[in-house]
Amino acid sequence: MDKKVILAVAVAAIVVVGIASAALLLNRGGNGGAVSYLAFAPKDMKAALATDQVDAYIAWEPYVSDSVVGHVGEVLLWSEEIMSGHPCCVVLLSNSFAAGTDGHELSLRFVKAHIEATKWMVDALEAGSGTNYTKLVDMAVEFTQRNSTVISAAFQHLEFRYIMDSAFTSALEQFTEMYVELNMTTTEDLTDRGYTSVEDFVDSYVNTTYIEQAATVLPSATILNPDSPIRLGYLLGDLHQMAQVVALNTEVLGTGKSLFQEYGLNVQKATGAPFANGGAEMTAFAGGLVDIGYLGAPPAILRHLNEAIGATIIAQANVEGSGLVVAVGSGITSLEGLVNKTVAVPGPPPESSIQFLLLKIALEREGLELKVKT
Amino acid sequence: MDGFVGWIERLLLQNWRRVALGIVSVLLFIAIWWTYSAYLHAEWPFGGTPSGAAEYVPYPDDVLSAFVDSFVKPDPANGLYMTDNIASSLERILFGFVIAFAVAVPAGLLMGRLWKADAVGKPIVELFRPIPPLAWIPIFLIVFGITWGPIAIVFLGIFFPILINTTFGASNVDPVLVDAAKTLGARRSDVFLKVILPYTIPYLMTGIKVGFGIGWMCIVAAEMLGSVGGGVGYYIFSSSGLGRYEFMYAGMLVIGLLSALTTGLAGLVERRFYRWMGMK
Repeated sequence: MDKKVILAVAVAAIVVVGIASAALLLNRGGNGGAVSYLAFAPKDMKAALATDQVDAYIAWEPYVSDSVVGHVGEVLLWSEEIMSGHPCCVVLLSNSFAAGTDGHELSLRFVKAHIEATKWMVDALEAGSGTNYTKLVDMAVEFTQRNSTVISAAFQHLEFRYIMDSAFTSALEQFTEMYVELNMTTTEDLTDRGYTSVEDFVDSYVNTTYIEQAATVLPSATILNPDSPIRLGYLLGDLHQMAQVVALNTEVLGTGKSLFQEYGLNVQKATGAPFANGGAEMTAFAGGLVDIGYLGAPPAILRHLNEAIGATIIAQANVEGSGLVVAVGSGITSLEGLVNKTVAVPGPPPESSIQFLLLKIALEREGLELKVKT
Repeated sequence: MDGFVGWIERLLLQNWRRVALGIVSVLLFIAIWWTYSAYLHAEWPFGGTPSGAAEYVPYPDDVLSAFVDSFVKPDPANGLYMTDNIASSLERILFGFVIAFAVAVPAGLLMGRLWKADAVGKPIVELFRPIPPLAWIPIFLIVFGITWGPIAIVFLGIFFPILINTTFGASNVDPVLVDAAKTLGARRSDVFLKVILPYTIPYLMTGIKVGFGIGWMCIVAAEMLGSVGGGVGYYIFSSSGLGRYEFMYAGMLVIGLLSALTTGLAGLVERRFYRWMGMK
């Protein structure tokens, strides 16, 4: 055969195969009556919604208000409508840090500063205007790189809270049970880590003594750890974790000292911080890079059970503050309307985010299924 | 198929020493891995307290059983089987390859033969070639969408090796051959089809083989976000994020095997092609 003919046949074959497979790829079917989900970085969700890559997304603030203020999206459901007062971010303490030199005292002082920062924010937000409110918004604008309109809107749908009450522990139990049910962790993992049940695990993993003892902590004129700073972990631009931003800020108290310094602490951001998501921060905990960190409760639970990362939850950071967003003019007005549509969930892996669990709870309540997009 | 089996038979018969050494090498690797894992777990023959890194280096047999499980049981996180992940990744690699081939071969031939094309193309190529595919993730995902974005990342990995090898091959054609063909009355199209193209094919094939390898290296980056239908790269990233490390290693093993398979197939096509063209 002439080589030209061979070449022509080869080129034709490649073109035919290419076109056929492209047609196949573009004509993927729906997901059999379920709602589909995909992993996305929250910062890209607004753009993904605007360019029709996804039909909806669920994320934490300020990425919800960002779309609303920008007229890209509207909120279909706030997370408090799914689960009122649901836990979100927590303060996690590395067990090895707590057991080290001055570990207990340092952790106690940290919790004290966290409590004071939280109270300061609650007061500022309650006032709704004034110097402290403006200061808080300015700090949040700098931390999240979103404008003040977005921040003010976002603050309306999240509550800063440090107390860990029975609602908090029972919600953690529910999350853990969901993970066991999903087989993402197992009862064997619980047993391996020395827990007799889910209740026993949550009971041990949540340590309220720091909050209880924090009342005894007084301001300190000297820094307890001048040479070995507490290595702080937190997530990129997560508005839920503003307590650490406030506690680090030297303008909050008006004395030129930050809240951490007020209680005699030297706190520095950990290597690798800010982390992209809770999973990444847990890896840093495992690697001994973080002493105390802010992150979502679900990754803290899952990674502790699956990998025996030695840590304890010592305070809450916030409750609520996530939202399910659909595109403006999408016509989606109910969860039912999301069937055969795609929702972006923070990840990867999306399944370890609180937003995934909340979405799953909301859909299951309506008898709807949540499946990975195929 | 018969040719493939025959090829395997010949490979085993003619190269049994090579095959035996290969097996020894793999067994040795597994033995070292097992020993290190036992050391971290502080289990036989070692003692003491287990290291914090023990969960991160599971035993080879745990990885093997995770490997088997990933095929027979759905992933608890998303309900996908490994076969689903493989299908999704293969699809991305295939598309990435077809597009990379279609663009890189003509571009490489042009850049190799025409100095103007080289002058135009080279700065762009040199500028973009070293950029890690990871850096493009958010942009490609939003600009090209969730279907084509991940394919575009794989495309980048496959594109440059093919382009560079093709350019190199085309620019190194022995001028004597070209002159001889011209002297014998060959037209420009004849010179191109019968001298330059065949001369370039071995380089092109090397580019394809290297490209497939790099394409697979890019799959984790490509499937990190917005990965429809999962994928082996997504599986690795997700398993690691969930702390299921034996499954993460199982995913790595799958990528290794798939990469060996695609590179092997490219090698097979290469040999066939040479024989067919009477080159070997």
